[in-house]
Amino acid sequence: MFEPKRLHPITAMLNVLKMFKELIIPFLLIGVFGSRGSGMGWLPLIGVGVVLLIIIASGIISWLRYTYRIEENELRIEYGLFVRKKRYIPFERIQSLDFSEGLLHRPFGLVKVKVETAGSNGLEAEAVLTAITKSEANEIQDILQKSRANGRTDLSLEAEDAPELEEEILYRITMKELLLLASTSGGVGVVISAVFAFIFQFEEIIPYETVFHEIEEIISSGVVFVSILVFLGFVFAWIVAVVGMILKYGNFILKKVDNDLIVTRGLLEKRQLTIPLNRIQGIRISENWLRQPLGYASVYIESAGGSVGDTEGSSANILPFIKKASIRDIIEENIPGYIVSNEIAPAPRRALKRYIIRGTLILIPVVPICLYFFQLWGLLTLVLLPFLALWGYLCYRDAGWHKEGNQLKLSYRSIVKNTVLMQRNKIQSLSMKESYFQRKSDLATINATVMSGLSGAGGSVVDLEEEDVLAIYHWYSRDGKSAG
Amino acid sequence: MLLEPQKRISERALPVWRITGAIYSIFMLLLCGGTTGLTLIFDWPIWIIAVAALVLIIFVYLMIFLLPTLRWRRWRYEVREQEIELQQGILITRRTLVPMIRVQHVDTVQGPLLRKYNLATVTVSTAATVHEIPALELDEAEELRVFISKLARVADEDV
Repeated sequence: MFEPKRLHPITAMLNVLKMFKELIIPFLLIGVFGSRGSGMGWLPLIGVGVVLLIIIASGIISWLRYTYRIEENELRIEYGLFVRKKRYIPFERIQSLDFSEGLLHRPFGLVKVKVETAGSNGLEAEAVLTAITKSEANEIQDILQKSRANGRTDLSLEAEDAPELEEEILYRITMKELLLLASTSGGVGVVISAVFAFIFQFEEIIPYETVFHEIEEIISSGVVFVSILVFLGFVFAWIVAVVGMILKYGNFILKKVDNDLIVTRGLLEKRQLTIPLNRIQGIRISENWLRQPLGYASVYIESAGGSVGDTEGSSANILPFIKKASIRDIIEENIPGYIVSNEIAPAPRRALKRYIIRGTLILIPVVPICLYFFQLWGLLTLVLLPFLALWGYLCYRDAGWHKEGNQLKLSYRSIVKNTVLMQRNKIQSLSMKESYFQRKSDLATINATVMSGLSGAGGSVVDLEEEDVLAIYHWYSRDGKSAG
Repeated sequence: MLLEPQKRISERALPVWRITGAIYSIFMLLLCGGTTGLTLIFDWPIWIIAVAALVLIIFVYLMIFLLPTLRWRRWRYEVREQEIELQQGILITRRTLVPMIRVQHVDTVQGPLLRKYNLATVTVSTAATVHEIPALELDEAEELRVFISKLARVADEDV
């Protein structure tokens, strides 16, 4: 492993695809706008061709230039298209190696290796080996572990073979859970909005006016037909979302290895996440309205750094679909210091009125606007009123807090019910808010922020008993001088 | 009830905020002036001008007179051994605690207006949040920055 090595040639193709993905929108724009008007329509196409050639060439060259080697307990990478760069990463600084396999990796038995260090702040890995064979990857990992073991046991010579790390599987998704997870996810909405966004991208090409004209005729030919069409559309979007979720969360496994939590998931693309236990900033248990009645929830970890950052913000989904009752064992046994209990102090009864009013407040601007556009039909928006009131009531019911030793639990609902567990020494800042009306009825809002990747996450509960909020405030205050 | 944090920000914050309000008012003036002009040109109903004038007057009153006063009256802060406490807000009172060990860095910021009045704003950053104490006397701001960064250096708990 000491001579410089190149990555697998497929890297060149991955490089090209990545650059192409970034340019696809400008290309489409050129295609759409460039081809109309004057007779110079071929000019932009030539431009696109030249750019494509440059992309392919630079993809290949950057693959040729990229070499890695292991030397003197360092991972040494040299790369760069015009400016040659060298990056030497000492083994001690490497926190984790994360392997993932994309679609193009799998047929060749390749993996993508991300090297995470304490300094890489969640947004970007310190170094990425885009495609190397599995055996090479394992070799690197072995060398890394051996050198670490040597470092730990210092001068003891028997550390020739790396000690087997303790590995314990905490959770493995079952087929039934996977299907339930996929069918109860909120992904449907995302798919529908993506379809809409996609359609409106092509506003220029599709002759909407004629289409709408035809739609008018269809509408006049029967409401039933239209409703069936819309219904089929929704079913289709739902199926797409379900398949997407199954591909994403298939084979989901949560392991504990040494002092790290490791998540692997994915049917087509395999991904791996490593979360060092000592970087955990908070735990969020989230129940959407479909899963809550079934007694299921998903658990996220807010983490500072590690390899969590790049794809889905800085929260790592460690238990995507689990019976609420089994969360406690997994968390309490494996993540030190966190307590999962059902104890909660709810918002006081008099807050209910405010929750319901807040829920229905959205209608105030909506109703006049709809009245203006649809005349009397706009009054139909009032049908929403009971639903919004119900939503307000649900928000009220799920609001609450509990503190136990070093841990603060805040529970609240926006659309999804969230329960956030935070430790006092991980909370970055805490604030309480009181509006004029809240003060009159002795209510207050509490807000706690923990670190999550580069920014913050946390929890906020509105309209709790003022005394309770003050109690939390005092609990957090270190000087305690603010006591009156 | 909690005791309020004890220290107030500089009284010279008031003229600074009033001037800022006046600058915003100029934009509002242009907007309302434009509306009036259009109304006259296109013979729109005359009440539009009245509404525009009313909006302008209320805006000027709020931005230059009422809000700066309320804001200044509410603003309190206190820097203690182990934490910083802030109180702010006009309609909604917000009180924030920032422990010293969470502070990552402290900056003083001074725009042209603040410089003219010999004031500065202190911003305190944690790993996840940024907090601001506006319009302190320059000396006081400098002192505070040094003080906080000295206390914050004691931090040894991880992140």
